[in-house]
Amino acid sequence: MKRLLITVLLLSLLWISPPTGVAKSDDFSTVVKVIEDFYDVKHKSLPFLARAGIKTGTAAARLSGGVRKRLAEAGSVKVVFFEDQEFNSKGGIANFRARVTTTLAGKWLPFIQVLSAVDEAQTYIFLRDAGPKYMVLVVTIEKREASVVQVTLAPQTLAMLMQDPDEMGKAINDDAINNDDQE
Amino acid sequence: MNGRSEVSLKLASLALLLFFGAAATARAQTARVAMDQLDKLGAKASQTVDVNIDERMIQLAAKFLSSKDPDEVKVKEVVTGLKGIYVKVFEFESEGEYTVADLASIRSQLTTPAWSRIVNVKSKKEGGIEVYLMTNATQIGGLVVLASDPKELVVVNILGPVDLEKLSQLEGQFGIPELEIEVRKPKQKN
Repeated sequence: MKRLLITVLLLSLLWISPPTGVAKSDDFSTVVKVIEDFYDVKHKSLPFLARAGIKTGTAAARLSGGVRKRLAEAGSVKVVFFEDQEFNSKGGIANFRARVTTTLAGKWLPFIQVLSAVDEAQTYIFLRDAGPKYMVLVVTIEKREASVVQVTLAPQTLAMLMQDPDEMGKAINDDAINNDDQE
Repeated sequence: MNGRSEVSLKLASLALLLFFGAAATARAQTARVAMDQLDKLGAKASQTVDVNIDERMIQLAAKFLSSKDPDEVKVKEVVTGLKGIYVKVFEFESEGEYTVADLASIRSQLTTPAWSRIVNVKSKKEGGIEVYLMTNATQIGGLVVLASDPKELVVVNILGPVDLEKLSQLEGQFGIPELEIEVRKPKQKN
């Protein structure tokens, strides 16, 4: 009876306790869920064939010195799109910002946030250590579409992008869309 | 309340006092200015930009700046030694969206003896500009720029050894807007 009780207790603990490692690496999914809940929208992953039709990004090319060079480390890209849906915070853009920032607080550095309440345009870039490299999470929202991109960057790539934070989100988005190693 | 609980309560109070005291001292010794109280303006602003670059990020950027390109060499010299760059920009569609109290929430942190306002500066841009320098003994500990016009409010807080000349080299980089700050020449006496 005692053994059974201990087993049940241990199993309960396993079931209750949050898998910390997984939670940390799954901030991407959490942010996607925050967008879905706040704006009442549903995401979709962009199929490879659709991505293949998208032209190469110019911002990435310009920032990497004229010739397009891949920014993200191979196999590190996660992308989720929201297409043809309404993103209207009804004046609550600050609440959404607070929600996203709170979700990632303590784990990710809020590097740059650009918000335009008039046209609901928002760009959030968060950074986090990933051993000798860096993970970058980019959330882009416009009136009818949005995307969440997570990539791992080499330190020199991040250093290059950091000089022009305004272009950083666009460059990473362009790169992720054109990256055929997507997970 | 028994004696044991009373001692525990006193110890807890002491620990809290020490914690908050240490936090206040740490803030006083650095040039970091609290700007989060301005975030509420985001709800009224047509555009908000918020940049946070800590020391680690600055040094990372500095490490990979070219030692051959003259422009990058200059920037590298400026950013080496910096401990943080924090920028908030609020643009409004109409006038009067921010108040004197919002500006005061920044200015009130710059009234300690460590901070001094540089008086002979102006900007080519419209509106007022205030530049404050923090000095620790002989070293510059940081800088705050408060630029305001009826439809825009900009706060730049740079931690570390930075002066006006260095600031002008950083304009347009690392999220620092083009402030077009100039040092006014002193008027000549007749």
